[in-house]
Amino acid sequence: MKTALISFLAAVVVSLPAFAADAADPPPAPDAERSALDTEVQSLRRDVVDLNRDLFMLEEDLLFPASTQVAVFVSMDVGTFFALDSVQLKVDNKEVTNYLYTEREQDALKRGGVQRLWLGNLKAGEHEVTAFFTGKGPHERDYKRGTTLKVEKGVGAKYVELKVSDKLTKLQPEFVVRVWE
Amino acid sequence: MLRTLLFFLAALAPAAYAAPVVEQDAVPGLPAVQVQDLHYGDVLFHFYQQDYFDSLVRLAAYREQGKLLAHERDAELLRGGLYLSLGQHREAREIFEKLLADTSTPKPVRDQAWFYLGKVLYAAGLYEESDKALRQSAGTLSEDVEAERHLLIAQGLLNRQRYDQAIIELSNWAGPRYWLLYGQFNLGVALVRAGEAQRGLAMLDSVGQIETQWPELMALRDKANLAIGYVHLQAGEPAAARVALERVRLNGPLSSKALLGAGWADAAAKQYEAALLPWQELQGRNLLDAAVQESYLAVPYAYAELGAMSQAVEYYEKAIAAYDAERARIGESIDSIRTGHLLDAAMKAGDDGRSGWFAQLATLPDSPESRYLYHLLAGNEFQEGLKNYRALDEMSKNLATWSESLGAFDDMVQTRKQAFDEKLPAADARLATVDVAAINGRRDALQAEFETAIASRDIYALATEAEREQLDMLDAVDSELALHVGDASYDDAREKARLARGALLWKLDAAWKVRSWQASRALRDLNASVYDARTRETASSRAREGAPEKNAALGRRVQRMSPRVAELAVRVKGAKSRQAERLADIAVRELEDQRKRLDEYSVEARYALATIYDRATANPAPAKPQDAPP
Repeated sequence: MKTALISFLAAVVVSLPAFAADAADPPPAPDAERSALDTEVQSLRRDVVDLNRDLFMLEEDLLFPASTQVAVFVSMDVGTFFALDSVQLKVDNKEVTNYLYTEREQDALKRGGVQRLWLGNLKAGEHEVTAFFTGKGPHERDYKRGTTLKVEKGVGAKYVELKVSDKLTKLQPEFVVRVWE
Repeated sequence: MLRTLLFFLAALAPAAYAAPVVEQDAVPGLPAVQVQDLHYGDVLFHFYQQDYFDSLVRLAAYREQGKLLAHERDAELLRGGLYLSLGQHREAREIFEKLLADTSTPKPVRDQAWFYLGKVLYAAGLYEESDKALRQSAGTLSEDVEAERHLLIAQGLLNRQRYDQAIIELSNWAGPRYWLLYGQFNLGVALVRAGEAQRGLAMLDSVGQIETQWPELMALRDKANLAIGYVHLQAGEPAAARVALERVRLNGPLSSKALLGAGWADAAAKQYEAALLPWQELQGRNLLDAAVQESYLAVPYAYAELGAMSQAVEYYEKAIAAYDAERARIGESIDSIRTGHLLDAAMKAGDDGRSGWFAQLATLPDSPESRYLYHLLAGNEFQEGLKNYRALDEMSKNLATWSESLGAFDDMVQTRKQAFDEKLPAADARLATVDVAAINGRRDALQAEFETAIASRDIYALATEAEREQLDMLDAVDSELALHVGDASYDDAREKARLARGALLWKLDAAWKVRSWQASRALRDLNASVYDARTRETASSRAREGAPEKNAALGRRVQRMSPRVAELAVRVKGAKSRQAERLADIAVRELEDQRKRLDEYSVEARYALATIYDRATANPAPAKPQDAPP
């Protein structure tokens, strides 16, 4: 039994560097030791990413050509205490999306991510875009705010940014609209 | 007995001493970014949700479309980081090296590129090169990244067993709290390995006594306490070992090792009754755990040491039965794995968005194919292999979805062509009825007429239809009166005609300013309308000529994609099948090793049992079970 004890202790002591390595990401086997299969999986993933890139562009060119493309983006520039619940978007008085945000998405927006909320097609000319957002502010207070803007659709793609911001009116979240060409 | 057990369980719960409290906010994250291109923000939106594949695809597409110009270098850095996150080290390395080779890359981006290159090289096990890259990245990194850089350098040294250098690197280092604790842990390990046990244990002890609610740091605290416990055990200091081992959480992943160690600490102090408590607690746990396997031998060993031979015999027999049963179950699982059922179970675990699929594997229902899955994941080779298998499965689903979409795209292109061909004759007919050139000519003539009138202040030019009629009438009257020159009876009529013409001229003159402005505005509106008409005519004509070509080009792109998708789908299917075979081989090999170890333990138990029987035969005085602890 003592032999077992000694062997177990030895195993633990030998494994001490592993604790150190575990402290952050443990390094996998060196590249040279990777099998041909690992290399093949890497190569496949690269090819699948390239294919998806090309298909992503093809889909956009086919479904939303630049001549009619309009995209509405949502971004945030608010304090830590505002949580965005949903955004409803209407184009020419017709609802095109009503989006509910997950905790992960709220976090991504707060960290500087910008969500492409809607991608659609509009004819050249003037269009009306209306957006409402709901959310919770300080002291669990519910907020609902809206904005309406006229968008002149020309020949090229049109991008509209709806920024939920509390900079202008101190603790009162509002939409700040910016139109990008 | 119950009281002692409760005391023992309480002692193993997290200790609450006056230790530093680690806030959740101290855990590092990426700094916020000021987005200048909406599409770069969209990439980040997916990146921050750890949706790395989608983020990478969007980044690659937007980059190709020239939509990331304001973030060109940031985007490259992110692209390299995304490849790194997906385990694509070669691509990541290429991107970082390219950024560094470009002399115009600004210093903050260079620093980050050096840092990530260092990470790639570290992950590839190239510690020397990683060290060089990481040391070049200092200067402009954020506090958290700087801390990670420092720790990676130290860990590279530890991996190369350069403990003295690691100690220099980590001593007197003051990073953010979260990283500092990892640094202290590694410093403690480095000191112990370098032979400075006292300093090392003191350092590990500072980590072993932290108070935290953060799971990663609780796991680090357990590791520190386990390391302290076993170092003390090895040094023959069981009391100190037990203090540290009792701080390991009873529900944590290291609790079995801690329980076994606590038992050995008691046994080393000749406290066999006390040793039985943690060892017996282990016996209800998974027998694949090395600590649990050993506890089956440790319990009868303690009874034998206490002189309770009948209990020792009973527990050795129990150990043999448990080992045999487990070996049979392993055999059953090996058969199931060989028939290809292992991965069915592995793929059942979904990602709930919080704990991830990895953690969910621990909760799979007990069945021959899934019983040992979580245990197998402890091995890096199996874990990496399963990650690859899941990645291949996702690729396969992705390709199947695109394959369907391409069919729809093809239909769409055909439908558009058909609709265009059908609408063309009617559109042509409508266009033929409109002569934009003639309209344009008439507009030019009007413009010229207006400009002449303005230049000569021709008030008649802006007269209304009624006024023109009045002027014509007055001209007719004047002509008639001219036939009667000298006839005094027409004098009154002449005076009236003169007054009427004067009044009309006065009216035309008074209206001149307003009318010239109105005419100018009407011409401007006309110009705009004519311009719109010409633009529409040009656009219609261009669309008429360009649309079929554009549609055909899209059709060709769709056609070119289909074989690419099909070819990749075949390659992915083949790789997935080979990966499944490889995982089954690793699993069977690992389980065979386990079975062999259980065989060895079983033989050891049988030998111990035979020895007890031999002693009993040589010395017939019976053991006193009633003397044994309950």
